[in-house]
Amino acid sequence: MSRFHSQAAALAYDPAAARVEPLGSDPALERFEDVRELLPSVERPTPLLRVRRVLPPAASPLYLKLEWLNPFGSIKDRTAAYLLQGLAERGELDGRELVEPSSGNTGIALAALAALMGLKLTITIPEAVPEEKKVLLRMLGAEVWPTPDDLCPVDHPKDGAIALARSLVESAGGERYVMPNQYANPDNVRAHYETTGPEIWKQTGGRVAAFVAGFGTCGTLTGVGRFLKQQNPAVQVIAVEPQAGHRLPGLKSFQEASEPSILDRSVIDRVVRVDDEPAYAMTERLLRQEGLIVGPSTGAIVHAAAEVGGELDGVIVGVSPDGGLNYTSSFAERLGSEGTPDV
Amino acid sequence: MTGNAVASSLDCRGMLCPLPIYKTSVAIGRLAPGEVLEVVCTDPGSVADFAAFAARTGHRLLASEEGDGLYTFRLEKRAAG
Repeated sequence: MSRFHSQAAALAYDPAAARVEPLGSDPALERFEDVRELLPSVERPTPLLRVRRVLPPAASPLYLKLEWLNPFGSIKDRTAAYLLQGLAERGELDGRELVEPSSGNTGIALAALAALMGLKLTITIPEAVPEEKKVLLRMLGAEVWPTPDDLCPVDHPKDGAIALARSLVESAGGERYVMPNQYANPDNVRAHYETTGPEIWKQTGGRVAAFVAGFGTCGTLTGVGRFLKQQNPAVQVIAVEPQAGHRLPGLKSFQEASEPSILDRSVIDRVVRVDDEPAYAMTERLLRQEGLIVGPSTGAIVHAAAEVGGELDGVIVGVSPDGGLNYTSSFAERLGSEGTPDV
Repeated sequence: MTGNAVASSLDCRGMLCPLPIYKTSVAIGRLAPGEVLEVVCTDPGSVADFAAFAARTGHRLLASEEGDGLYTFRLEKRAAG
């Protein structure tokens, strides 16, 4: 049985029972009975796509792993599925509601999966997150608690959404709520060790020389990095870090944020710092020159890959964590009046 | 105490910071200026939290009382603007 089938089963869905009749082995006739069957696996990976036009002609080949083609729109689909699978297997979901601090993609994936599993989900979310994301979470059936960063008036950590989620769990004595906690849960790493990493290894025929991803929860970097280095210790794992005070959603600067406990620095060979402006400039080029509707973190990752690409031999794989449709308001700020009628 | 009766009350017994403050800020947002919210807590840290919350937001802390392990606060919603 394929891995995504076993994952779907753990998520309270049995594909074998739901399937009406097989249509044969022709992939063109492949059809699906439940959205959870679209979660990626080594058998059905997300695509690797070569980008050329945004790189110098002599640069090493760069392939992007298009994670926005996941069923709920981002790389966090993998994380959310594994977090819930782990909680279900350990019996930690029984009779409990979910609460998770999230500024976006993890919340959306958790909300979609929680809805399918009949679980109640509360997302504590920084107030500054665009209204579109808060509304989408509510549309998926989640309860959304917008939280100011300075919520705690006295002597408490800076991140209000994390503090509020913790206090919800602790105030109920651990009885009512369970927090998947993507920053500290090893299942986040396992998602990428068991799916993203093996997919990349298989899709490149083992020729991957470098892997580039952003600092965030560090599930991707730690999980993929660990897997690839076990296959070939020479694989270079490159972490992209924004500057303090950056405007690159999903990425974290550890000059200002605390390092997640799941980060394994031993698998990281190099950290490349990226400023907001070149990241957004690259995002724009990816839209205009490659036709890729990607979010700003992809721009940061491609910019970093281009920077190190000249020094590496072999195939570079970069992550494209999410698509650009959620970021049109920040793109609008960048554009100003560009692209409006010149009359 | 002012003459205003308590318009709404919030039971935050057993809740740890910042949950009572969060619920208070949501509940007071639903009141009209001048209306009074009463909050009952059990967390001793709430005394300092509510004083700081009132100072930061401009809502008036009419009462901060302690007794039998309960901390009771009455906040008057500030005028708009």
